[in-house]
Amino acid sequence: MNFLSENIYYIGAFSLIFIGLYILLVKKNLIKVIIGFSILDTGIYLFLITIGYIADGTAPIFSKSGLKADRMVDPVPQALVLTAIVIGVAVLALAVSLAVRLYGHYGTLNLRKIKEQRW
Amino acid sequence: MVNPVLLIVIPLSLAFLIPIFAFISKKILKFIPFVAFLFNLTISLKLLPRVLEQPVLTTIGGFAPPFGINIVAGPLGILFATLIALVGSLVSIYAFNYIKGKAQEKYHILYLLLLTGATGVVLTGDIFNLFVFFEILCISSYSLVAFFGDKAGIESAVKYLIQGTLGSSLILIGIGLLYGRFGTLNMADIAGNIHSVHSMSVFVPMVFLITGFGIEAAIFPLNAWLPDAHSSAPSSISAILSGIAIEVGLYAMVRIVFTLFGASSILTFLLILGALTLLIGELCAFSQENIKRMLAYSSIGQTGLILFAISMGSLSGITGGLFQVVSHTLGKALLFLAAGYMIHRSGSMNISSFGGMGKKMPYTSFAFSIGAFSLVGLPPFIGFPGKFMIIKEALSMQEAMFTILIVLILLATIIEAAYFFKVIQVIYFKGESGSPVPEKEIAPAGILLSIFIFVALIVVMGVYPGLITDALNASASELLHRVDYIKSVLP
Repeated sequence: MNFLSENIYYIGAFSLIFIGLYILLVKKNLIKVIIGFSILDTGIYLFLITIGYIADGTAPIFSKSGLKADRMVDPVPQALVLTAIVIGVAVLALAVSLAVRLYGHYGTLNLRKIKEQRW
Repeated sequence: MVNPVLLIVIPLSLAFLIPIFAFISKKILKFIPFVAFLFNLTISLKLLPRVLEQPVLTTIGGFAPPFGINIVAGPLGILFATLIALVGSLVSIYAFNYIKGKAQEKYHILYLLLLTGATGVVLTGDIFNLFVFFEILCISSYSLVAFFGDKAGIESAVKYLIQGTLGSSLILIGIGLLYGRFGTLNMADIAGNIHSVHSMSVFVPMVFLITGFGIEAAIFPLNAWLPDAHSSAPSSISAILSGIAIEVGLYAMVRIVFTLFGASSILTFLLILGALTLLIGELCAFSQENIKRMLAYSSIGQTGLILFAISMGSLSGITGGLFQVVSHTLGKALLFLAAGYMIHRSGSMNISSFGGMGKKMPYTSFAFSIGAFSLVGLPPFIGFPGKFMIIKEALSMQEAMFTILIVLILLATIIEAAYFFKVIQVIYFKGESGSPVPEKEIAPAGILLSIFIFVALIVVMGVYPGLITDALNASASELLHRVDYIKSVLP
């Protein structure tokens, strides 16, 4: 029980990552695959945030007197997440616009039916 | 003193200035990538002799290395940057005549971004920064594969995007795990502390990173996207993807394995993976009817050979592998450009439609043959010294496993020769029965110029391999001596 409550954020983040991975591998519809990516990405963001998280921590600014550095949340993972979110949005936008074009060409989003290119 | 950060800044800022240039004149747009990479080529050639003595370090924002992002221009990084700038400028000459129509400015923006990303990956010394540049490279190549917007292009781009994004996600997880363990993102800092923690806690992030970069480098079980993407992209982009993008993925992988983790125990695994990739790539290439698909599978094979050579982990093995990188980049870019122009003329990607090309397009056919001979490894072209070094080094290893792997490699080379000679035979000896009088070739100057510079480079470097072996040796020793790398970044 102790293990669970100590690592609950990591468990949550990796559950999201695996849910996303499952959707990615199993679903046939391209839109669902893109949603799977979104979930996978969210899991990664949570994981990155968790690395630098301290319970009841504050922002790393010396605003109050008597505030020590060990009560501050690590700011680096938050900067990483911000960058990763921007990249994720770019990929998502590109994926959705490609899905629109794909539907225009094939009339379906079922990835199992789209197989003109093969070995 | 030239600052290596210019190699990244100039193309990046020019990429975003293109829409403004488009207001002034649409006609100058196509010269912008050429100017940018000619500039990069000058700078990196100027830097090359200096970095052979000592790596040039640049900090960004004035923060000292463990905290800020730093640029490490070592021999390996500048070697790759030179190669990227060289191929980038030559392919942009080709694109003068090849890319037409309304969407030109988008093509040039994405092209500049793709190569900026590649240059950034090879120069950066910060692992998260490496991820960001890698994503710039990947996202612009997804959209360039779909540039024509036809059925095959869109389908391949979707496939490439799904697999490539999965790879990037794995890389990000690996970086997160490393940061959680070491509390730093600087590669030299992580490398310096890697042996102080339990080996299992660095093994997991290593697996994530190798798998992630392995997808972009198209190592055997992860290469499903490559033949589609490389065959459906515009030919100038296929040349860049084959010549630069997968090599950059391979660079990242090698950098991770050698410098970051110093993991010599995983090399045997990579060695076998490389030989398998080589064999499978060449076998698949042999059975293709579509010329660009054949070249794409041949790229998979060549990547396998490079991985095999570098995984031997000895100085001359890595030198041979890097020589193979140079020869594959030049040879495959030339083949894709020449094939692209022949496809443009014949209107079909099928190999059988190339009959009689030797008479219709003598210059392009000649260049294609030179590229094919070089890739197969015939002297006096650049492909020969690379393959020779690799085989020689593998023979000197004196182990039973190497004997089997050498047999596999030679077998793969024979298959490679077979399918390239098949194409050359069609080009030269199967005339079109319908047209006895061949029409004269009216090739645009830009296309012929870029193709012939490639031919000249292949022949010159094949005859004088000593021109680049100094730089290659220095790069190989940079990979092998990770302590020197760490000391140079963190004195």
